[in-house]
Amino acid sequence: MTNAVSMQGVRKTFGPKVAVEGIDLDIPLGSIYGFIGPNGAGKTTTIRMIMSILFPDRGELSVLGKHSAIESKDQIGYLPEERGIYKKMKVGSFLKHIGRLKGLDSHGLNATVMQWLERVELTEVYKKKCEELSKGMQQKVQFIASVLHDPDLIILDEPFSGLDPVNMRLLRGLIDELHTSGKTVIFSTHVMFQAEQLCDHIVMIHQGKKVLDDTIDDIRTRFDPRAIHIAPTAGLGIADEIGQVDGVAHVSVVEGALEVILREGMDPQTAMGKLLAAHPMNRIEIKKPTLEDVFIEIVTGGERGADAEQLRADLLAGENADSEEAAS
Amino acid sequence: MNVSKVLRVAAREFASTAITKGFIIGALVLPAVMVLVIMVVVMVTMRSQPPADAGTIYVLDRSGEVSDVAIDRLSPEQVEQRWIATAEGIKDAAKGLIGGLVGEKANDAIDNAAQMIRYPKFRVIPTAADADIEELKAELREQVATTADSDADIETLIAIVEIDADATRKVNDEEGYGVYQAYFRPKLNEETINEIEDSVRWSIRELRYQNANIDRDTVIELSSVRARKSKEITEQGERNESSGLTNFAIPFASLMLLLMACMTGGQYLLTTTVEEKSSRVVEVLLSAVSPLELMTGKIVGQMGVGLSLLTIYNGVGIAGLVFFNRNDLVTPVTFLYIFVFFLLAYFMFASLMAAVGSAVNDLREAQSLMTPVMMMMILPYIFFMPVIRAPNSLFSTITSFVPPISPFIMIMRVSSNDPPPTWQVMAAIVLNAIAVVLFLWFAAKVFRVGLLMFGKPPNLRTLFKWIRMA
Repeated sequence: MTNAVSMQGVRKTFGPKVAVEGIDLDIPLGSIYGFIGPNGAGKTTTIRMIMSILFPDRGELSVLGKHSAIESKDQIGYLPEERGIYKKMKVGSFLKHIGRLKGLDSHGLNATVMQWLERVELTEVYKKKCEELSKGMQQKVQFIASVLHDPDLIILDEPFSGLDPVNMRLLRGLIDELHTSGKTVIFSTHVMFQAEQLCDHIVMIHQGKKVLDDTIDDIRTRFDPRAIHIAPTAGLGIADEIGQVDGVAHVSVVEGALEVILREGMDPQTAMGKLLAAHPMNRIEIKKPTLEDVFIEIVTGGERGADAEQLRADLLAGENADSEEAAS
Repeated sequence: MNVSKVLRVAAREFASTAITKGFIIGALVLPAVMVLVIMVVVMVTMRSQPPADAGTIYVLDRSGEVSDVAIDRLSPEQVEQRWIATAEGIKDAAKGLIGGLVGEKANDAIDNAAQMIRYPKFRVIPTAADADIEELKAELREQVATTADSDADIETLIAIVEIDADATRKVNDEEGYGVYQAYFRPKLNEETINEIEDSVRWSIRELRYQNANIDRDTVIELSSVRARKSKEITEQGERNESSGLTNFAIPFASLMLLLMACMTGGQYLLTTTVEEKSSRVVEVLLSAVSPLELMTGKIVGQMGVGLSLLTIYNGVGIAGLVFFNRNDLVTPVTFLYIFVFFLLAYFMFASLMAAVGSAVNDLREAQSLMTPVMMMMILPYIFFMPVIRAPNSLFSTITSFVPPISPFIMIMRVSSNDPPPTWQVMAAIVLNAIAVVLFLWFAAKVFRVGLLMFGKPPNLRTLFKWIRMA
């Protein structure tokens, strides 16, 4: 067994709507995988199928070497997208209840729960009712519920939504720790930079289809936008002159700077030399591709236009909504 | 299925329902408070009887002989004597009726109640035989106008009785006896009016006996027919004819116990399922247990709640019967049947509740799906009278074999005074057991699909689609 999760041709429909369309995927043991894609792309459905909460209409699926997650439920930790807690239950009892359901022995369970509460800096809530906690605190309690039983495979659906930056960092640290200790981690997010920060492997899902499945580094190389951002000392007015420089295909104004797209086969280092030689610059840098750019490029087929801008706006809207949530 | 996980779910379900203030208050304290309130209300009603009337009665006696008898009859001593005798009579009758069901202990309560009777007091003044009735009425009207009810005393004129001259002696056979007429001050107590009229009637009748030369005691003796207590002859021997109260009380109590235990467990099951679904805990749970394990655990947990209630109330019932020395009314087998039929009825009801709970997003949406279920639960109430009047009629027999109301009808029949043959009870148990399996199967299908379906609540057609889907 080398793959924690393996899917072949998995498809799921809800009535007329196709939620997941023929996904093939292998997630090796010990890796950390990010599922990204906009809201409604099919991430949660895919994860629920891995968890055997939903069952695929077609295709093969194996989890931790078994045909279904049901057979290895106790080795899997799952944080659902929708946060669920028993409102009237005390935090300690809730975590112990989940622990017991996950097959943990009641002996020493209390100590394990306390230990985890310490790790997320929430020891004081042990005796509080779940409904008395803030959203962020509930989120952390939920996270503990998913990892309490020391699972080998941890699946986190949108683990960062609703957290403030401090707690985001705390959770990122914990996920990183789990990964380092050899656990397989799968998480989904629609906020792509979180995936960039954490994952070594990205699976991009769009409209139920897998559109990308690669390591971060490979993605960066493959989707090098061949773009250089410059701020000429003479100002943005000299865009036309810049366009005359050898190797430059296209120049446009982006976020208070000029974005220079290079011709096919042009080496960025050489181009930068030529640009500097032609005009004095306040700033010049190679533009790194963000996952957002990659995503947009894949979805729009590399075309730049209204569609791409709309998509970018949608993605940003999602992130902003999220950070506002975190702020409140 | 992982039994330990199922039990874990069941334990939480039970604890979160039964070990709460709300439940303990609802299940134990509330009935106790209700009993207390009823007792207090009864006592207050008894103590707050209107004060007995007192007043003066004018008797305009044209016959010339009635007033003397009536004066004697309405004298305070005689009135008191009669009221005490009546109270004793009522006491004995009450002991016969209520004591028959609840035994000797009730007699004390009846004795106490008898102590509290009040009776009116009268001063009777005969008027001149040729007095003008209109003048007397004017005097009564004057009295009503000048004396408030609260100021009325023995001196206050409260009634006038006018007796015809031929009231006690027939002038001729065609016209028969004459009549009497009474005029009363308004707002007199019912028993005051009755006392006056009864006494006047008694006096007139007494004189008629005398004038006709008939001995009063003879008349009474002739008209009274006594009988020994009726018996029922059964296969085992003979027994006292069961009173109406016994006939109805035990089957009704059994039915109510069963319904209440089922409804309580079922309602809580619905609530917790909807709660788990709407608070999305369900997905966390499903990552640890399968839908079938979850549903089984929840049903078992609430079964514990229903069984606890049943045990507590049954215990109270048994204690009551033992206390009143009437444990012959219910056989131990009946109690066993109550538990057996509870389990059968509960599993069917709970299946429906689990299915409904998993299918909807909140309790409000559950209402429309609950209506048919609730209507079904009302049927046993409606069938109570026909079944209990004839526990072995065709109707009773057939309805006691139709799940899901079968357990309720069967328990009424079993606890009636004419229980069905054992083979019928056994057949009903087997039939219901099969129905339970079908109900659970249906619920499991709906539960599995429903739990993760959010959005538009389903109607019955979608439910059946889910069953095919799962």
